[in-house]
Amino acid sequence: MRPETVNHPKPSPSFHHRPRPSETIIQSLLFACGILSIFTTLGIVYVLAQESFSFFTNPQVSLINFLTTLEWQPEIDKFGIWSLVNATLITSALAMIVAMPLGLGAAIYLSEYASPRARAILKPTLEILAGVPTVVYGYFALTFVTPILRNILGNETVEIYNMASAGLVMGIMILPLVCSMSEDALHAVPRDLREAAFALSATRLEVATQIVVPAALSGIAAAFILGVSRAVGETMIVAIAAGSGSSFTFNPFQAAETMTGYIARITSGDVSYASLQYQSIFAVGLMLFLITFGLNIVSRIMVARFREVYE
Amino acid sequence: MKKQFTIFSLLMIVAMIISACGSSTTKVAPSTAASPFDPAAAKGNIVTAGSSTVFPITQRMADLFRREGYSGNITVDSIGTGAGFERFCKTGETDISNASRPIKEAEKENCQKIGRTPLEFQIAIDALAVVVSSENTFVKNLSKAQLADIFNGKVSKWSELDASYPSEAIKLFSPGTDSGTFDYFVEAILNSKKDGILSVKGIQLSENDNVLAKGIEGSKYAIGYFGFAYYLADKGKLRAVTIEGVEPSKETVENKKYALARPLFIYSDATIMKNKPQVATFIRFCLDAPDKEIVKAGYFPPTTEIKKKANELFENVMGTTP
Repeated sequence: MRPETVNHPKPSPSFHHRPRPSETIIQSLLFACGILSIFTTLGIVYVLAQESFSFFTNPQVSLINFLTTLEWQPEIDKFGIWSLVNATLITSALAMIVAMPLGLGAAIYLSEYASPRARAILKPTLEILAGVPTVVYGYFALTFVTPILRNILGNETVEIYNMASAGLVMGIMILPLVCSMSEDALHAVPRDLREAAFALSATRLEVATQIVVPAALSGIAAAFILGVSRAVGETMIVAIAAGSGSSFTFNPFQAAETMTGYIARITSGDVSYASLQYQSIFAVGLMLFLITFGLNIVSRIMVARFREVYE
Repeated sequence: MKKQFTIFSLLMIVAMIISACGSSTTKVAPSTAASPFDPAAAKGNIVTAGSSTVFPITQRMADLFRREGYSGNITVDSIGTGAGFERFCKTGETDISNASRPIKEAEKENCQKIGRTPLEFQIAIDALAVVVSSENTFVKNLSKAQLADIFNGKVSKWSELDASYPSEAIKLFSPGTDSGTFDYFVEAILNSKKDGILSVKGIQLSENDNVLAKGIEGSKYAIGYFGFAYYLADKGKLRAVTIEGVEPSKETVENKKYALARPLFIYSDATIMKNKPQVATFIRFCLDAPDKEIVKAGYFPPTTEIKKKANELFENVMGTTP
């Protein structure tokens, strides 16, 4: 502070917020873009809820039957959702069994071990996998993976339409997603931690598995949950390869229709708009929405609990 | 960059020239000059939808129609007879509805509500094929009663049908409930009761007959049914079972000895045919199609009486002699 300026009554500049019209317009436009996503979600929930309400208030449908019985065949008034949910869960579980270890492994390799050249080749290849249309994956499952499974395990154990090949191919489809999200999480771990471990003569494997992965656990958990959500919502692969008749079975080599497969099959015909079958699509859709919503909440809780904050 | 651009544009021009040269239309037969139903003179679009069984015929007719000079757009959607009537009679989206079963009363009423009176033209006969995989060597013939037992779920293993068959679970494949083939089968074999077939555990239902064919091919113990054309398309990997000892063929279908011989229809409406003359031209074309085209599509041509009836109906509507 210079002494000569202390007593000068300088006119202070006005710090009043000067509104600039162009800034305000852009700000409102961007705000509208953000709000749009909320409106879309509200719209979806409204449509699902409205038609599901008509479905559940129909005298032929009882909510208890919906949630407790095991047979889904709307044409003859069998409305047990569990056979569809079961098939969805089995295919998603198979997909995660493939995607999680392979994705995490690829992420660890890319983040901890890969030379820049290896990374330059691997990352674009993984991105190509992510870009393949799911309908192509579906036919890949039906015409390539299923015959291989039938060769290995026998033609009678594995049916032509089965949950296993759909699940495996879904895993391949989800792999890039899990890998890239896990790699981001691993990358976010500060270098200091790794260097400190190296300084204490830890090997690369020890650093990767005992220091970096635990530190990045919240991001990896988020990747896992996102992968599961994607698997649950996947339609084309299961519609083509998993089967078109709903049945409650734990054998992954049998055909069983998933929730998304059912919706795809019914909408590919022309169901009358007022019929019970049409409304059943929305009930199944609502169930799907609730499952992914629940997964979202679980993901946020997990991320919050496992998060490690570095200064 | 500039060099690549010029090479690319040269290639595009060459490709376009080649494709333009290659698409010269070949006329199948000289069309009668004074015919009012000349495909080359037809203008406008035709929208058809319905049975997956009739789909190969309508698709083939559409291709031939275009080759004869039709310049408009004709779309054929294979969604199932029931779904086709939904579009024809409730939402009024289609001009022609393909059907592998006659129209139901309820569907007729829906049509009346939107001002349409459905006209029925039979264009072919189908021998519904009950197929098993070619790996299946034990089943050669089935009686109607046995078929009913299998598809009602009364027997779940092959050995329950006949002690000499292996003791393996029967895998069922059937068209879905939107399909006319399903409705016909339920009526002809299952006594019009669909609860039995729909409650069978693990039955695969699909309106897409190719999905069924692929599923049946893959398993020795699978059985299913669909239109004859889809069986012919996969003849190497599938085998059609004889019904009551009768094999599906032109003779057994015409003299009705084959128990599952059924008519295939296209439905339209007089107002549509008059307002959209291209629709009438197309129907005339289908009715006049030579037998070998129907056979190539995979089905059996209609008998002379059926053709006469269809022609009379057409003349009544359009008021012209062919």
